[in-house]
Amino acid sequence: MTPTVALLESSTLIRQGAEAKVYKSYLYDGQISGSDARGEPILLKYRFNKQYRHPTLNSTLTRQRIAQETRSLMKCLRSGVHVPGLRMVDAQEGVIGIEWIEGESVRVLLGAEDEETEGTGDTSDLPDLEQLEHDPLAKFNTTSSHVMRLIGTEIAKMHAADVIHGDLTTSNMMLRQRSDEGTEVLIDFGLSYVSALAEDKAVDLYVLERAFASTHPDSEPLFQTVLDAYSKINSKEWKAVGRKLDEVRLRGRKRSMVG
Amino acid sequence: MPGKTRRGLSSPLKQLDRDYLALGLEGSANKLGAGVIKHSPDGSVTVMSNIRHTYITPPGEGFQPRDTAQHHRDWIIKVIQDAMKQAGIEMSALDCICYTKGPGMGAPLQSVAFVARTLSLLYKKPLVGVNHCVGHIEMGREITGAQNPIVLYVSGGNTQVIAYSQQRYRIFGETLDIAVGNCLDRFARVINLSNDPSPGYNIEQEAKKGKRLLSLPYTTKGMDVSLSGILTSTEAYTFDKNYRPIDTGEEGTFTPADLCFSLQETVFAMLVEITERAMAHIGSKEVLIVGGVGCNERLQEMMGIMAKERGGQVFATDERFCIDNGIMIAQAGLLSYRMGFQTALSKSTCTQRFRTDEVAVTWRA
Amino acid sequence: METITYNNFEAKVHLALFTSVENGKEIRERIIKASTAEGAEGDAAREAVNFAFVDAKLIASPRHLLTATYQSLLAESQESLKTKTVHSEIIWSLNPTSNITEALRRFGVNDNSSTLLVVRVVKSSENLDVEKNMKEVVQGNLVPLSELENVTDWSLISKYYKLNSEVAVTGLKNPNDTKRHKIIEELVTSFVAMKSVSS
Repeated sequence: MTPTVALLESSTLIRQGAEAKVYKSYLYDGQISGSDARGEPILLKYRFNKQYRHPTLNSTLTRQRIAQETRSLMKCLRSGVHVPGLRMVDAQEGVIGIEWIEGESVRVLLGAEDEETEGTGDTSDLPDLEQLEHDPLAKFNTTSSHVMRLIGTEIAKMHAADVIHGDLTTSNMMLRQRSDEGTEVLIDFGLSYVSALAEDKAVDLYVLERAFASTHPDSEPLFQTVLDAYSKINSKEWKAVGRKLDEVRLRGRKRSMVG
Repeated sequence: MPGKTRRGLSSPLKQLDRDYLALGLEGSANKLGAGVIKHSPDGSVTVMSNIRHTYITPPGEGFQPRDTAQHHRDWIIKVIQDAMKQAGIEMSALDCICYTKGPGMGAPLQSVAFVARTLSLLYKKPLVGVNHCVGHIEMGREITGAQNPIVLYVSGGNTQVIAYSQQRYRIFGETLDIAVGNCLDRFARVINLSNDPSPGYNIEQEAKKGKRLLSLPYTTKGMDVSLSGILTSTEAYTFDKNYRPIDTGEEGTFTPADLCFSLQETVFAMLVEITERAMAHIGSKEVLIVGGVGCNERLQEMMGIMAKERGGQVFATDERFCIDNGIMIAQAGLLSYRMGFQTALSKSTCTQRFRTDEVAVTWRA
Repeated sequence: METITYNNFEAKVHLALFTSVENGKEIRERIIKASTAEGAEGDAAREAVNFAFVDAKLIASPRHLLTATYQSLLAESQESLKTKTVHSEIIWSLNPTSNITEALRRFGVNDNSSTLLVVRVVKSSENLDVEKNMKEVVQGNLVPLSELENVTDWSLISKYYKLNSEVAVTGLKNPNDTKRHKIIEELVTSFVAMKSVSS
């Protein structure tokens, strides 16, 4: 058994997606003066091998994707985007360890059902009555429009660093409250890549807009708040990105097709 | 047809009081097809006939619109006659005549639509214009019994990941440049494989002999793929100093078979990956492969492994229904005809561009 | 001295922080000499300095150092060490470039090192009095690791890791701002974690 496999086996599986298994873990036992026992919890993301894929292709791809994901995270950290910090990387086995975020997904906070392991299978899930009565945001002492501004701000900072997320949804964002930092939105990664093109940034926003529409009905005004905050922070690029976003919305999808 | 969907909503299709018959005509690319389908009051669907004639070009050559249209004009009377004869019915027994409205190549589409219009006038039968892609999906669902699958539609002109939602086949992912069939066919031409029965079939046979996996660009973006880079790279390998058109057994060299193997392994892995992503997104466990490339057994195998890992299954059809055919046009056409849809003569045009998600899928819940 | 266990590597890691170190020069010379010594005497000389001697002022937190240790153990288990031993690898892992000489000069012990973080990786089967061995080599005061926060030279870390122009810290000009320190600590820890795939 390799050390990384042993680490995974000692960890708690919390989610299994199409691309990766996610675990809560601790890297060591024992205590260092001034820190908690066993250190901090971390989140392990294991990009397991796909049986359908040729083994050679599996290992090159895994390595490439781990490198891409960690570089995007590092770029975001350097640029002051709120993303989880990195704790360990094993590109050979396809595992990265990142900071454990104690918080709640924006998807749940906006009243949609929690995702089980994956998609719920329903494109029109509505918030249930109980959740409407007890606004989940109250716990964070904040409002949905404030959260939208935070989201717009983080995406703008990320795009200003030329990082394209590739899969922006409200499930990929966490709200965290810390006494010293106040409320912040953190972005989780996976399919990201680096690009300076306004087109790519616009598609990133469009993906989020569609995710909003399908997950949070009647969310149009909310999404506008995201864009308002975005345009303020990434004002340099907003003109080009906004124009492209209108284009992308018009054609609906990327290309018309020839049989 | 299935009367219920997984949500338990009942099908909008009304129970029939008698058998309904439709003729379908397809010629959007180099296959010319005619087929007759029967829908019965008990809900069963019968393929009465399914005739095809393929325009095959010499190795190294693709099919040009003009020549393909000429092929269709030369053969269409024979193909329709055979289809009617095999079905054992007269034109007068038909309820409607269905033809491919698009997408596809202009000239071949028009040559077939012209015949459809003529038959409609001659026998006073309503016309139904059909979206080629929807034809593939409906025939695939009918043959395999898949209820609400994620559909991977892979052919010479299309590469799409599709899921049904609220009266539309929605495109979740697609190629950002060339179609997968186009990619394989073009490479077949580069290495001079025969176009008989199809370049894709010959790539598949060649790939079975391949052993070495060469590194090729692997480009997926979310649920989309890009395939033009991989074609360029595979072509570039044929100019490599280690490339041997005929296997010499030398260490470090590679052959056309290795290239076909590498191309298939890489491209299909990309397709399976985006399909899985769509399945995860929607929460579906079924996947249906349609379109000409869907016949490829390696693709079916890889998709099957993925689906099994997810606790689901893959549905695929053989070359009779995967490869472009007339019966799928009859099937999709008759479904929409039963919902009251007809194409007026004045509107019975063709269109090279016709997106799958433009069609109102009224016959599903 | 403090000790943690990495069960997945079947290893213990002992860490000790020494302040007022007086013999940095001597330690460095012993390491160099031991590396070329021959025979049983050579083995004994190497064993005596078989530690990672890290200049503590360049360490932002125990986590920063432990991340380097974890990645070094991983490299060792995958037979992909860039340097000779897991201990030298820890020093290499801390340095932002892949230059080994530069890593040793900056992050290793040098003639005027006044504070040292000493690390010893022990495989579970070995039975050693690590603390005694550390004290025999280092002349200085052994203090708890929590003292590290009084040792860290934040501006030197920022300089070596080239952080001064990063957007994440440009908003926080005051070099003594603890918020700035926290961000720097996160950046260097994350960098060390991903160094193996950074380029």
